[in-house]
Order: sequence, then C-alpha cells, then structure tokens
Amino acid sequence: MAARDQHGPQAPWRGEFRVLTKPQRKVDGAAKATGEALFTDDLALPGMLYARTLRSPHAHARIRSIDTQAARALDGVHGVITGADLPQSYGVIPWTQDETALATDRVRFVGDEVAAVAAVDERTAEAACALIEVDFEVLPARLTPEEALANPEPAIHHNERRPGNISKHVKLEFGDVDGAAAQAAQVVEGDFSFHGTTHAAIEPHCALARPDADGRLTLWSATQITHYLHRALALVLGLAPEKIRVIQPCLGGAFGGKSDPFSLEFCAAKLALITGRPVKLLWTREEVFYAHRGRHPMQMHYRTSSDGEGHLTGVDARLLIDGGAYSSFGLVTTYYSGQLLTGPYDFPSYRFDATRVFTNKPPCGPKRGHGSVQPRFAFEVQLDELAERLQLDPIELRRRNLLGENTTTVNGQRITSNGFARCLDEVERASGWRERRGRLPRGHGLGVAGSMYISGTNYPVYPNDMPQGGVQLKLDRSGLVTLFTGANDIGQGSSTVLAGIVAEELGVEPEAVRVVAADTDLCPVDLGAYSSRVTFMVGNAAIDGARKLRRQVLAALAQEWEVAEEEILLAGGRAGLFNGDRDLPMREAFVLAETRFETLGATGSYNTPTLGGDYRGGTIGASPAYSFTAHVVEVRVDCETGVIRCEKVWIAHDCGRALNPVLVAGQMEGSAYMGIAEALFEHHTINSRGLHAGPSLLDYPLATSVDTPELAALIVESIDPEGPYGAKEAGEGPLHPSLPALANAVHDALGLRLRELPFTPGRVLRALRSQAEAGS
Amino acid sequence: MEVLSLKVNGDTRCLAAAPQATLLEVLREELGLTGCKQGCDKGDCGACTVLLDGQPVLACLTLAALVQGREITTIEGLAPAHRRRCAESPCASKQDKLHPVQDAFDEAGALQCGFCQSGMILSATALLQRDDDPKRETIREALSGNLCRCTGYTQIIEAVERASDEHAGREHRPRAWEQPATEPAGEGES
Amino acid sequence: MRPFEMWEPSEVAQAVALLDSAHLAPGSRAPRLLAGGQDLLGELKDDLARPAALINLKGIAGLDEIEEVASGGQSPHALRIGSLVTLARIADNATLQERYPLLCAAAVSVGSPQIRSQATLGGNLCQRPRCIYYRNAAALCLKKGGRECFAEGGVNRHNAILGGGPSWIVHPSDLAPALVALDASVELTSPTGTRELSLADFFTLPADGDVLRENRLGPQEMITSLTLPAGGGMTGAMTEKATGGRSGDVRQVYMKFRERESFDFALVSVSMRVRVVDDRIRAARLVLGGVAPIPWRCLGAERLLADKPLEPQSFAAAAQVALAAAEPLEQNAYKVPLATTLIMRAGAALTAETR
Repeated sequence: MAARDQHGPQAPWRGEFRVLTKPQRKVDGAAKATGEALFTDDLALPGMLYARTLRSPHAHARIRSIDTQAARALDGVHGVITGADLPQSYGVIPWTQDETALATDRVRFVGDEVAAVAAVDERTAEAACALIEVDFEVLPARLTPEEALANPEPAIHHNERRPGNISKHVKLEFGDVDGAAAQAAQVVEGDFSFHGTTHAAIEPHCALARPDADGRLTLWSATQITHYLHRALALVLGLAPEKIRVIQPCLGGAFGGKSDPFSLEFCAAKLALITGRPVKLLWTREEVFYAHRGRHPMQMHYRTSSDGEGHLTGVDARLLIDGGAYSSFGLVTTYYSGQLLTGPYDFPSYRFDATRVFTNKPPCGPKRGHGSVQPRFAFEVQLDELAERLQLDPIELRRRNLLGENTTTVNGQRITSNGFARCLDEVERASGWRERRGRLPRGHGLGVAGSMYISGTNYPVYPNDMPQGGVQLKLDRSGLVTLFTGANDIGQGSSTVLAGIVAEELGVEPEAVRVVAADTDLCPVDLGAYSSRVTFMVGNAAIDGARKLRRQVLAALAQEWEVAEEEILLAGGRAGLFNGDRDLPMREAFVLAETRFETLGATGSYNTPTLGGDYRGGTIGASPAYSFTAHVVEVRVDCETGVIRCEKVWIAHDCGRALNPVLVAGQMEGSAYMGIAEALFEHHTINSRGLHAGPSLLDYPLATSVDTPELAALIVESIDPEGPYGAKEAGEGPLHPSLPALANAVHDALGLRLRELPFTPGRVLRALRSQAEAGS
Repeated sequence: MEVLSLKVNGDTRCLAAAPQATLLEVLREELGLTGCKQGCDKGDCGACTVLLDGQPVLACLTLAALVQGREITTIEGLAPAHRRRCAESPCASKQDKLHPVQDAFDEAGALQCGFCQSGMILSATALLQRDDDPKRETIREALSGNLCRCTGYTQIIEAVERASDEHAGREHRPRAWEQPATEPAGEGES
Repeated sequence: MRPFEMWEPSEVAQAVALLDSAHLAPGSRAPRLLAGGQDLLGELKDDLARPAALINLKGIAGLDEIEEVASGGQSPHALRIGSLVTLARIADNATLQERYPLLCAAAVSVGSPQIRSQATLGGNLCQRPRCIYYRNAAALCLKKGGRECFAEGGVNRHNAILGGGPSWIVHPSDLAPALVALDASVELTSPTGTRELSLADFFTLPADGDVLRENRLGPQEMITSLTLPAGGGMTGAMTEKATGGRSGDVRQVYMKFRERESFDFALVSVSMRVRVVDDRIRAARLVLGGVAPIPWRCLGAERLLADKPLEPQSFAAAAQVALAAAEPLEQNAYKVPLATTLIMRAGAALTAETR
C-alpha cells in the first residue's frame, strides 16, 4: 500500500540536499512583507452584509423565550437567527457533540452565543442585537471544577452516561505503581496547579460566507481545520458536502485556537443562505476571549518513585481538569494529560487518573502542546526535587532515566528515533551548566527540563481508514509544478516545507512550485494543522506524489538521451547527467515527459502504521514519531519585588531533520517564548459572577519584545526512519520544558519550589516570606 | 459624512467618511489598503501601526478626519517608495520588489503568520530612519508597541539587525540558531 | 463607535464656549474635548461615553509648545508645557531631560511608542480609570452612575490601597505623580478666564468630590498648560528652609513597576525629588502612582525626610509613614511591600547620584 511506503531519510538525489536543510524564504513571505497577503477579514465581496453576535450576559441560564421582532424591523437588517435556526448539535470530536451554533435552550457561560444578525453594516447589526429581547431564567453557575462536582444539578450538560458535570474520566494503570512506591528509596509527592491560558493569536476569528448562484455555498474562514469544518458545516446546515466549499485564506496565527468549528462559521453561512448575500462575521477581540479553547486549568497531584540511584520506578498522577462549558477536544485532552508523559524517561509503572469537569466558563480546548504542558510542568519539577533529594545534578538524573531509541514506553507507545540525550548535551554545553549551575549568586539561577511530543497522531478525530494526508501534483510544459494540499498553513510555514520537498524531488527551483492549500474544492483532504502532524504526514504524502512524477520525467529523459535513469540528475531547475554531459532547462524536460506520458499529474498520500497500546485509549497519543526537547532557562529574581526576569532560554530540540532551519528555529523560539510568557505573565480571571475580568490584549498580558528573553535555538537532528527525509515536528514540543525549567531555575536561584502557575511577583514574595519564616 | 482628503503613500485620495471613522477603517474599507490589520481595535496590539509623518501611530486610535494634510504611509507604500527612490538615485542599482526592511524580514524568517508584520515592519522602518545602527535594546524598545505571537521576537530582531547591516554594507551577524557553540559564561560572576 | 459631530475651534475661547451645553440639541450628550484621543477613542469604542460631538483641540495654535517663562528674574526660567504636547516630545525634549528627568522618565514609561507619539500631556492627566469594571460597559459600576464598586469585592489586583472608597479606582496617569512631585501647576481656561491651580489640588478623591470624576475641571474648563517652577527646585517655604544660602542640589527619580515593560499601567510608581545639602535632605517630594484614586502625595513622609541624612534608614522610615494608612483589598496587599521597596530603591538611586 503506497500510503504506508517508507521513503527513507536520504536525500532523493545522490549527494547532498539541494533545497531542503538550507534556509529558504517562505513561499508567502514577500506577500506578507508587502501587505499583499489576504487574510479572511481582508476579503470583501459585492453586496456583502456584516453580521454580529448577541451573547449571554449570564454564566448559566435557561432561555425561556427570544423576541427578535424589533431587531428584524430595524432599517438595514437583513437576517436574524437564533438557536432554532441551527438546532443541529456538533463538536469536533464525534462522541461529544454538545455545542450548537447558537444556544437552543440554555446558555452556559458569559459570552455564549444566543443570536446573530446580518445587516448593511456592523453598527446596524450591533444595534439590532441590542433590540433582541431574551427572557432568561438564571441558573446557579459553577465556576470551579470542585463546585461543579459538588453540585451535579442543575447539570451543565445532561448526559446519562456521565452525570455529575463530568466531561470525561480516564484512569489507566501500567505496572504496579503502588508497589513501586512502597519499595522506593525515594518518593516525591506534591500538588501543582496550572491556571489556564489562551492562544491570543493576533488575528481574530473571521468568517465570510457566499451563497453561490448555482446553489453552492463558499465559506472563507480563519480556521486551521478546513476539513473538519467542512464536515461540520454539512452536518449543521443540512447541506450535502459537495455543495460546500471551505477556503482558508492566510491565517494570522492559531496555536490550536482555531481548530474547532466555531459559531461564527455556521452563523455567517446560515445568514448568507437566508439573505442570499455574502455575509462577513468578524469577532471582536473581546469575543475571541469568549471563544477561547485555551489551555485547561489543571489541579495535579504527582507521586514519583525512584530507587536510591535515581532510576525512576513509578509515576502516579491524579488530575482535575477544568473544561469550561463545552467538550471541544476535551476527550483527547483528558487522555493526553496522561498518555503523553511516558517519555523521554523510562519508568516501569505508571498510573493516571484524570477527570475533566464542565464549568460555566469559556470552553477550554487544544493549545500548543495540547493536554501535556501542564502535566509536564508538574513532573519535571518533581524530577528536580528528586535530584535534589539524591544530591544529583538534575541533568545527570535525567540521563539515568533515558528511554533511548527503538523502544516502547510503559503505556505501549512505539519510540523510534530519539535525540533526547543529545538535547541534554547541547543545553548543558551551551548554557555553561557545569560551571554555573548551583554556583550563581542568590537570585540568579539555571534550571533544566525535558519533554517529548507527538509528530501527528495515528488516530483521526473520526475513525476511518482513508489516508490522513494527501496531495495532488500537476506539472506541465510551462515549467511550473503545482502542489494541491488540504494542509493548513497557519503561519508555521507548512506550504513552504511542502514546496521545498517538491522542489528537492523534482529538481526545480522552489520558486517554480506553487502551493494551493486548504481549499476543499481544489485540494485533496488533509485533516488540518493540529497535533504537529503536517510536516510528517503531508511531507511524506508530498514525497510520495513527487516521486511518481519524477519517475515519469526520468523515464522520458532516459528514453530521449538513451541513458539509464540512474545517470540523470534533476537539480536547480535543470535536467542533466551526473557526469555533466547533458543539460536542459527543466521546462524542456517537462515537455518531453508531457509528450511521452500525456497530461502529467500525480497524487500522494500518507497513512500511519498501526500503532498504540492494546487497550481502550491506547491509540490516543500514539504517533509515528516523537520529538524531544530540553531547555535550560536562566533567571534573575528580584527578591524585593518578586519579579522573575527570564534572561535566556537555551532550547535544544530534536526535530529529526531540519528541512528548513529558519522555520525550525522560528518554531522553537516561538514555542519557548509562549511557554515562558504563560509561566510569568499570562493569566485571566473569571470573577464570582462568571464574568471574564479583562477580555482584552491589555488585561491579558502578552509578553512584548522588551519582556522576552534571549532565545537560543539549538537544533538537534536524529533522522527519523519514517519522517520525510527523517523530519519530525518542531512546532509544539519545544514549548513544554519552558515552564518547569523556569521553575527549576527559580529553585536554583533561591531554593524556592514554585508549584502554582503563573509565577507572579505576589506568589514569589509569599514564597520568599514562607522560606524566611521556615528558616528563622 | 464629510469629504476627506488624505495623503496616503504619496497619493492624495478623496473620500467620504463619517467623523467617527478611524484611519484603520478608512484605509481598509475605503482605500482597500488591507495590509493594515485590525488585531484588537483598542490600541493594545500594534497590528494597525502606520506611519504618520514618519512616526508610528495606531490607525485604530486615529480619526481619519484629523490626519488630513499629513503624510500617511502604510505597508503598501514602502516598496513603491523605495523603488521610486532607487530610480531617482544615480548610485542605486538595485530595483528590488521589496523595501530593504521587508526583504530582511522575509530573509530572516521574521514572518510567520504575518498578521503583525505590517505594523512591525513600519515600526522597524521608522526606527532605522532615526538610527541606522540600533543596539538590540533599542530595537526591542522600538518594537515594544507591536505584539507578535509567533516568533518570540528573535527573528524579528535579527531582521532589523540584518537590514541595518545591509544598509551599512556590513557582513550579516550570525542568527541565533547559526551561532557556533556558545561559549559558556565564566564561572559564577563578579 | 456611535456617531458624533466634529467641532473644530481655532481658539481656546471657542473650544471652551463649545463645551456649553446650550449648544447641544435636546437629548444629546455633553461634548468631549479631543486631544491625542488615545484614551477617549477607547472609551467611545467601549461605549462608556456617548458625546454628541468631539471638540478637536489640534487646530488651536499655541497649545503644543514647550517654552520658558520669565518668573521674577530667576534663572533658569520656569517652563510651560502646552497641554497638547505629546508624550513623545516630552520624553525627547532636551531641556526637560536636563532639568526634569523625572518627567521624561514618566513620559517614556507610558503605553507604547505608537501611543506616546499621539497621546498628549493634557489627555494623560484627564484619562479615565482603567479599572476592569469601569471599562466593561456591561458592569454599571459606581463610576458609571451605578450603585456599587464591583472592584471592592471582586477582581481588585490593580485597585487602590490608599484613599479608596466608595470607589476603588487608581488614577491611571503616569505623568500626574511625576508632575505633582515637580510642584507643577496647571492652567485651566474657561469662558470666564484662566485660573492656575497646583496640580496636586487638581485631582479629587471619590469621597471628596463627584464620584463620577477624578478632578476639579469645571464643566466648561480645559487644561491649557502646565508650568514647572523655575530653577527645578522646591518652591515655596521648603526651598529656603535651612539651606544657609546654598541652594544645594536637587535630585529626582521616577520608578514604575508594572507587569510588562511595555503597554502596562503602573501597579506602583514612585516619583521622588529631594534637595540635598551636605548629604542631608533639606526638602522632599514623594508621590505614589498606581495606589490611589489620585496621585498620592505622601506629605507625612516628605516632612519626615526633611532634615534626614541621605541614607537607607531615612527612606525606610519614610516608606513606613507613607504606607501606614494603606487599606488593601483582598487581592492587592502586594502593593504595600512593593511600594515600600520602590521608595527604598528611589532613595538609593538618589543617594547614589553624585553631581
């Protein structure tokens, strides 16, 4: 089966890579630099209407009635919809479809969508929203998981299988954890908490729908999951999928925040169908905070056991996850919170007991490092505690527990390439760890942490046996190669990586490759930009497709030149022989191929091998390859103000092979920045009335250029046997160690263990006070 | 509605707008200059940064009616102006499609999603106008009104340094990921 | 934003005349003065104000000047800063940097570079509160004519520890405490003429004045300029006190603590100015920002500092006095040790300064 062919990690042509592994400009770089690139809100269509959303002012309420008469009567209003117009429920995970585009009978958080209006301009739509009268019966709101568990009624969602406001419960046990703890020479045990953060991509969500004259519907949306959105639209609108076209224009950042189908996409589409006119719905920054799907708050209890030499013997975890008002990806989050912890260290016993609970707050979902950033924080801090107890260097402790290559984790995940040991070496060397750690003056410290992350998951969100990634390729006498892919370039540069692969395989210049991406009418299905899957999966699909075309070009040239195909080199936009005897512009080589094989095209696809543990949930977290990361973070703590200043982060990341080092470094730096910012700055509060306290980019403080440390990306290559030329992911893994490495650096600086995120000055001062009291 | 006369990217444009129309709305909706982005519409992100008489300002917190007669430069105006200058200057041979700062951003990988970049590039351009060899701290300070959520600012700062080096005809500084093995800092510190 | 008209006076007299509500159509809302607009436009977008018209001050000549004014033969002269001077100009002005570095440091700490290039001195002093409840149009709080200060029992990390109640806002201006510490006076113009007020007296506590307002600006009044006293020295009685004919040297410092190093408002700021003769403080100004509904002048601490040696113990004692009356809310007690630390550091910075 072609889809599961291994392409091997070698360069496609004898000798070196010619395009890949070298810095390449992005295919959309110039367009973005000049402002030419069009994002969803940059599109405008003739006759376009503007829509706005009416939202719930209550954290939990039953809707008795909605009166839209006055809104409909307002001059300039063309369409008003409520939950009754879009009653079909949906959800990105097929088993937890608990959302509707607009509330049908119940609102579950302040900001939940109630109605939408399309009008001649935004101001009129907004005025019409204000005229809609909703009769709410206010219900008690549950704002913490503890409160929601203690008060099962009135339930936030009625679900007979999972009563008591429980969204998902997963308990898995591997080996004898309690036995390990009983016999351990060292047991460290403690509570940790993560506060919840959001993506805050600078582009707000936006959707534009156009009812086409032929009865079809086109939707442009700032989404990272064109395909899942396409399916959800068909379901909710009751339209055949072939009548719907979904296009993702340039996307202004996502980080997981645009990987659910959102209310605005359905509302724009429905209003377009009702009015017969294009409808644009742009959410305000405030509304983006309500849409949320950010990183889940978690209360975590960990117990880690080891023998007297620091070899881990067991890890026992209990996690309480605050899910917010809807499921979103919560089922996966709950699994990931446990399943992704089983590397880069080897331990023979493991148990996790994770419960995701509904609360009356904006729904949480997947954010860069989905489900695993919070547990990683707790666990890596415990490893530091263990090292301290054993008087071991924290890097040495980690080295004693390396999982290694070609092995299986305690929960049954297959590990192939593994560059973690080299990641540790790199950060140790670059940071001057041996000379400096533990020897810096009080307030100044270094901390280390490691992590592992998936390169895609072998489990699509809806079960099917079709390829996970696919491409189509077209080349012709013009010399242009066009790659059609469903993959969503969300700024991470996936289209650039794919263009590079095609250029490398076919020997054309990268500029001779045009990428058409994320348009469901034109492109073969890809599942989307999530789980760090695109380079690995679609990269392999692109190799698959390109090699088919390459064979045709080579065959045509071999026949023309009467040489063996092995003697031919396609490179740099020219076709020739390795011995230099022949030289032809690629365009002419393509003419030969088109002449011989007629119209040229090929498809390529990728599917994962069968992976995962043999138990319920064993495939969740199973990935064809895992990336590995180690960070060393340097901090200076101001003991009088409690301010932690992160000075530098050394990020060593095993990305398999760096197909474009500029992009890899950018992902590593961006990840570390985000992790550090989550640990030090980002926080948002829902007050006692369920109101978001400060849904703005002023009150939700993103680190600016003057708050961000120096970031040193140290690329480590392990050359994965199954990745495209050996590549693995780089976009999410490098976030994980930031938070625990920072916490561990604070310990090195001050002897303080910070277990509650974020590390605000107030918390640091309190901890310093307790330390002083304990010491006196 | 009033008739406004705005000087945008060197062209005088007349258009009708209400007194409450922001420069951001007018640029995007009336003049089709969508390179100027709306990230928050409250002055909290810098994505709508444009140059007003060469100074970076927030288009979302500027009323269009009040900037008549001033020079407004948007991201769309940078490269054409650069090309014009190249054509006029006897010594310039380069006829790039990009302004040098845009080119440096593209080359350095400073553009990930690209949404903050128009504002970022304009802030960087204004900086380099007044200081063509800025220190890293100066660069950080000059860009501190432009939020970027993708890059961690590193490649953006490198892009500004690159533009500065290019302007001075200096060799480019190695980028963070290209640095040879970092020399560990000395033992402890003074 | 809701629609409004734009009025374009060319003289101050016209501008203040336009503030007269008699010009308004029945049922419409009071017009607002527009300078840099960096705060006002945010308010309009949040629907916190619904003026029928904005009165654009930028067409009025003479409001954007920084000039020396003769003041009784003293040299150097007092300095007058027009209310429309931008914060970027204040930060970059060489004379100000030389004589009032405290003010330049405060100006450069405001907002972001883009905001500073449009925001004005007058606008900065007249900013409305940043309290999250005030900024949320859905929360009808005391400051918006409601009956409750939601911050008192709600999210109040950023709110007042001094001078609070019944509203617990903090004054958002970074320049105001700096200018109060510089003994600045403010010139207010109304249709009946101008009056000069010490800037310290310009601001009002919610308990003292109208809870809907933060200052004493009359209904038809605007700030036309600020005057910084001559000599950069302490004015009034304090100047002459026991200096033995020697003026001594005046040292000043501004320190601001915030969550991020850009965009953010002060959690606590300290503006401190001392006149030093022979390593003793002869007179002092200590004004805190970010802790109270007005720039919080610490008169007790100032009195304590006068005639104290320039050493840490003096500033520690001053900090203790300055914060003795603090009444933190549930989430903002951290501001007390923070302000104490900043006062100590400001003192240390002034001590280290040698001329």
